[in-house]
Amino acid sequence: MHRYRVPDHAPRPLPDSSAPARVGHGLTAERQSSLYRRLAARDEQALVELVDLATPWLLGVAQGMLSDQDEAEEVVQEAFTIVWNRIDLLDEQAGGLLPWLLRITRNRAIDRLRARRRRRQKAQRLEAYRALGEPWTGPREPDESAQPGWHVHEMVHSALKQLPEEQLAPVRLAYFEGYTQSEIAERLGIPLGTVKTRLRLGFDKLRAALAPIKDWVL
Amino acid sequence: MNPHDWFVEHRVAFVVRSLEPAEEKSFQQHLPVCPGCREETTRLARELAWLPMGAEPTNPRPGFKRRLIEQVLYARRRRWQWVVPALAAAGVLLAFAVVAQERGRASRLLAEKAALQNQLDATRDTLVIIRNANRVLQADIRMDGHDGGITIFADEHTHRWNVVVHGLPAAQSNQVYQFWFICANGMVRGAQLHLDESRPAFLTLGMPAEGGAVMGAALTLEPMDGASSQPQGKQLAHLML
Repeated sequence: MHRYRVPDHAPRPLPDSSAPARVGHGLTAERQSSLYRRLAARDEQALVELVDLATPWLLGVAQGMLSDQDEAEEVVQEAFTIVWNRIDLLDEQAGGLLPWLLRITRNRAIDRLRARRRRRQKAQRLEAYRALGEPWTGPREPDESAQPGWHVHEMVHSALKQLPEEQLAPVRLAYFEGYTQSEIAERLGIPLGTVKTRLRLGFDKLRAALAPIKDWVL
Repeated sequence: MNPHDWFVEHRVAFVVRSLEPAEEKSFQQHLPVCPGCREETTRLARELAWLPMGAEPTNPRPGFKRRLIEQVLYARRRRWQWVVPALAAAGVLLAFAVVAQERGRASRLLAEKAALQNQLDATRDTLVIIRNANRVLQADIRMDGHDGGITIFADEHTHRWNVVVHGLPAAQSNQVYQFWFICANGMVRGAQLHLDESRPAFLTLGMPAEGGAVMGAALTLEPMDGASSQPQGKQLAHLML
């Protein structure tokens, strides 16, 4: 039912923010800065490395929102194209390279959802899948723990897991499925004001939980 | 609650894009004029920057990464790649256009050259007649206050005349100047002249095939639609060889 993997094991301790930041296996802050500099210098190998690192995560975001593998791939390609051609737009104030990629991907996916009015079709598909009792998301990473960035994924899950269900549900619909507040109210059958309150409380808790990793680079 | 409170309350919703499209647009328009909201939304975005990592990673389909890299790296190059052939094609079209234009220009120049050559030949011919004329006939013509005249250079070797009429006003719309040969068997029409007082009129005429021996010439002012074989209008000049 849930689209997010909630680790069965206890989350690893959060890293000391004063220590060299590690997003995942082999992803040191130095390497991430190096990637950025090489991308700015039009180093094609840097793009290859970034694609290797980020594609599963970006596809996960896009496919989770669009429920369409082809469209998700298009969105990811658009995001990488923007990064490759407009690396100068990277806003250090809003995070590093990978957060920027994630944000572009998510925004593009939301734009598609809204522009193409596919939400209704998606809901119908979702209902149909649920009625069949079949999984409705794409294939999952078989070797998840080897995936670079997995540690961040676990931390985010840990933060999500701390939310009470009444806050997690609207957060999930808003952030990972691209619904607006009024659509969430309609889907959950609760007043709009309640949705706003639960979202605000939920995101406040998430911000606090994710604070130790907010300054990570990449 | 003042109007700004709404923006404060919805900062997180704006950052995570859960506002309605119209609300989102309103918030976007508010940001440039509100440093506080701008700073706060930037901070919120940074704090939630890693939240998308909560989505499950998804295995790319086989070949997707390779296609992706090719698309990203070579899309721009491909855009330029078609520009080169397009420019080449445009160049060829331009060359064709220039050639066609030059051909047209060359044709026009050749036509102008031919026209000038004809004028030169005619002028030479006229001069030959004048130079070789062994008889010259001349008469003054006074008409409606204008002093003009007619001169005939007769080349008896080539049997051609060069006729020059000058100083006469343009004929009225229902009249025309008519040159006549005076032959042994009567008058024979020569040519009609359209005169303009500002410049003389030149005619080169061969001898008429009928009417017998040419004995002289006459210039009359005939009705425009006159078709008589004999002069009907006013006689302006009468010259005998």
